[in-house]
Order: sequence, then C-alpha cells, then structure tokens
Amino acid sequence: MSATSERRAWILGTTAPALVFLLVIAYLPIGYAVALSFFKKTAFNPAMTWVGLDNYRYIFNEPELWHAFGRSVVFTAGSVGLQLVIGLGSALLLNRAFAGSTVVRSLFVLPYLVPSIVVALVFQWLLSQEYGVINQLLMQTGAVSHPVNFFGGLGTAMWAVIGMAGWQYGSFATLLILARLQSINPKLYEAAAVSGAGPWRAFLDVTLPALRTTLIVIALLRGIWMFNKFDSIWLVTHGGPLKATETLPLYAYRLAFEEFDFGLAAAACAVMFVVLLAGAFLYFKLFDPTREIEVGR
Amino acid sequence: MRRCAPLALLLAVLVVVAFPFYWMLLSSFTPREVLFKPPYKLFRLDLSLANYRELLFATEFLTYLRNSLIAAAGAIVLNVIAATLAGYGLTRFAFPGKKGFAFGTLFSYMFPPILMVIPLYILFSALQMRNSYLGLILAHMAISLPLNIWLMWQYFQIVPVSLEEAAWTSGAGRLAALRQVCLPSARPGILSVAIFSFALSWNDFTFAFILQTDRKMFTLPVGLATFVEQTGVHWGMVMAAAVLVSVPTFLLVFFLQRYLLSGLRTAG
Repeated sequence: MSATSERRAWILGTTAPALVFLLVIAYLPIGYAVALSFFKKTAFNPAMTWVGLDNYRYIFNEPELWHAFGRSVVFTAGSVGLQLVIGLGSALLLNRAFAGSTVVRSLFVLPYLVPSIVVALVFQWLLSQEYGVINQLLMQTGAVSHPVNFFGGLGTAMWAVIGMAGWQYGSFATLLILARLQSINPKLYEAAAVSGAGPWRAFLDVTLPALRTTLIVIALLRGIWMFNKFDSIWLVTHGGPLKATETLPLYAYRLAFEEFDFGLAAAACAVMFVVLLAGAFLYFKLFDPTREIEVGR
Repeated sequence: MRRCAPLALLLAVLVVVAFPFYWMLLSSFTPREVLFKPPYKLFRLDLSLANYRELLFATEFLTYLRNSLIAAAGAIVLNVIAATLAGYGLTRFAFPGKKGFAFGTLFSYMFPPILMVIPLYILFSALQMRNSYLGLILAHMAISLPLNIWLMWQYFQIVPVSLEEAAWTSGAGRLAALRQVCLPSARPGILSVAIFSFALSWNDFTFAFILQTDRKMFTLPVGLATFVEQTGVHWGMVMAAAVLVSVPTFLLVFFLQRYLLSGLRTAG
C-alpha cells in the first residue's frame, strides 16, 4: 500500500465510525422530523401523504400551540433566571477557602448529577399535599392555613416546576461561575481596594465584568435546554393540571403519542427546532466554541 | 457580624441543597407504618430495611436494573470506540473539513432528546428495533457521542505526537504505536468518555420511556416512574429506589471530587 493510500485509509477508518453514527442517529432523525412535518402520518396508518404546509396551518391556528409556546417561555425564563441567581449566589459563597470546602462543593454538584427521575420523585414526596414534609413545616410555622397542592394546583404547578428545575440545574451554573471566579486575578481586587472601592463597588467593577461571558453562555445553553425540557416536567405533572404546565415538548409528545398524529407532532418539533437554531446561531456567532480545538494541523 | 453573614447564608443554602437528599435517605429507611403518620420527625432512629427488602423482592426493580446496565454498557463500548478513533484521526492527520466536523459535532450536542425521539420511534417501529437493547443504545449514543468526540479531540491534542514518532523510529508501525504509546497516555480521556456515556445512559428518561414500551424492557427511570402512577403510593419504597438509583452518582462524586470541580461540562 502506498503512503498516501495508507494515510487515506487511516483518516477514513478513524473518523468514519463517529461521522456515520452522528449522521444516522442525530442528524437523520432531526431531518426526518422536519420532512415528516409536511406529511399526513398517523400511528395507525403506515402510509405518508404529502400535505404541504397543512400541518403548520393547523397548529398555528390552534390556540394550544401558542399557549404551549407561552408556557415554554415562562418556564425557560423563570428556571434559567432562578439558576443564574442560585448559581451566582452560591458560587460567591463557595469562592473562599473554609474547612470542608471540598466536601461542600461536591455536595453542590449532586443535584445536577443525580438522574432527573430521582429529583422528580423526591420533590413529589417533599411537596406532597397529604404527606409532604414541606407542607407540614409550612403549616407548623403558620405560613399557610391549608396544605398546598404544589404540583397539582392550577396557580402553583408552574412555579413548583420552575423551583424544582432551579434546584436541579442551578449547580451547573454554580460550577461554571465558580471556575471563572477562581481565575480572576486577585491583583484586580487589590487595585480596587487601593483606589478605595468597597466590596459592592469591587463586585460591580471587577467580578461582574469578569463573569459577563460566563453568565451569557449559561443563559444561552441552559435556555436552549430548558426550552426543550421534557422529562422533568412530564415526570411531576404530565403537563397538568389542565395543561397548566404543558410546554412545547409536552405538547409535541401529546400530539404524537396521545393523539397519534405524527405529522402534527413533527410540525410542533419543527417550531422547537427553529428556536434551537436561533439559540445555536447566537452561541456560535458570539463565542465560536470551535476555537477550542486546532483544525490547522 | 459582617463576617458571620456569609457563613449563615452559606449554611442556609447548604440546607436547601442537602435537605432533599437527607429526606430521601431518611424516608427510605422509615417503615411504612410510621412514614405516613404526621407529624414527621426531622430526626429518627427507628430505622429499618423493610422498604429495600420489598423493593428488591416484590417489584421488577432487578429487571429494570439489568436493562439499565446493559444499555449503559453498550453505550460505553460504542462511545469509547467511536470517540477515541475520531479523536486520534482528527488530531494526527491533516485533511479538509475539520472545521465543519467540529461545528457539526457541537451543534448536535444541543439536540434535545424530545426532538430526536419521535422520528426514532417511527424509524425503530419500521425496523422492529423498539423494545430492543440495540435501539436504546443507539438512542443513548445520540446524546453522548457529540460531547465524547469533543472530549477526545481535545484530549489527543495534549498527548504529544513526539512519543509516537519515537516509537515509529524504533520500527513500530502506526497501529503498534497507537496501541502501545498513544492509547495508554490517553487513558484519562477515555475514562471520562466512559463515565460520561454511563451517566447520560443511566439518567435518560425520555428515550427509554418512549422507545421501550414493553415492561420487560423498562430501564430504572421508566420503571420507577410507574411506581408513582398508582394510587396509594408506597413512598418509603419509592425513596429506597431513588437512593439506589443515585448510588452511581454518589460514588462518582466521591471518587472524582477534584476532577469534577476542576471543570465539568455536561448536557441536560
């Protein structure tokens, strides 16, 4: 075998498996979903009929899509906002050496690393109306007069889900912010102190500017992921009560697996995909993460 | 006073983070007869293993566990092979299209399960691959492979080429140099790929819930979700299940504290 053809065989042999897997299991399904949105396809009928934009016309005229879209926005804004507040707050608190700080920091990673099913089950138990310990504490302190039906109440379900997501994913923000805080040059704080800045001034002039990029990255990435979150919400509310927590992913799920209309579900997925595209475009445009690897060699 | 305020705040946050875990553990060891009798004591010593016994011997827990382990093992093997090879090829050879490959990899890292699972359900139905291990393993690869390729790409960049070159000059072929020199020094990278693949497969609910409709093929998250669907939920047993499913996470954090905190990036 000549040197060039051996080289070519190596390049092909090493990159082809990853490339084929990515194309077949990630890109093909997404492409198939977009294609499917132009067809009439139900669970009971293997045939696909071209219907053009009919699926889109149908769901865009349904108030349900817009309600689901609105709930997705509320859930995303609420939970990402909460994650940023929790992340920033706990990172600032943890960004100091104290006895046992490694143990405490590891503890803060746990909510993000345990499976979603665990978080969902534990919160359902904690917040249970009948037996929940949180309701008991609230009653004992007199904060409420009747036990609150957190996940089952029309007015509370969305907030309970947002709170749970904040608890679970806040530590992702904590980790990234903590890593950034520790890379800030301490000389900057000394300089701020010398020029007479108090702690608050130093936070505004040194910490916050240093964190700007990190905060934007977190908001963007977590925003994309929370907008498309299915498992956490489904597990605690199934989208209820009365669709109060039915965000876009749960709406698409219902169209596909409870109304058995894959074409309509695919159109709803395409709407999510467009939002994803917009988020990804911003992320790549602003941060060009591909810089992290060398492509020149 | 000024010095105490952050400490008190830290303690408060610590309680919020830790209490759900504490309550999960405590409930899992609380016998059914006392668990549902308010007022609940925040500390108790009359603990028992009854919930765990019931979970292991009176439910399908062990079936779900086996399915979860098979899916995770398959995802680890395929991910390690594909990502390691790709990382090696992408750093050791010059060829066009790398920027596109990098972009395509990172973009697919953002694909949420719910967008992929509806088309996969239709495709796997046609191919008779629903309720199969292979189908689930492939689906789990869809969420872990992008970041794994990325990890190995970055990792091989810091494995010096000079080591391999030294092996070549001593007469070893490329394959021998890869096996004897390159792979051993890439071991930490490969380990993180394996851990990450395991974690995403173990944690997945969405794919397994939609693709595995046969109870015999349920993974732990899907099986556990059915425990709370019925009326009169046996919460003590459910918390015991939650504890057991969290064990790998606890072990991971315990053994990899330093590594995890130095820079962790995962999806979800």
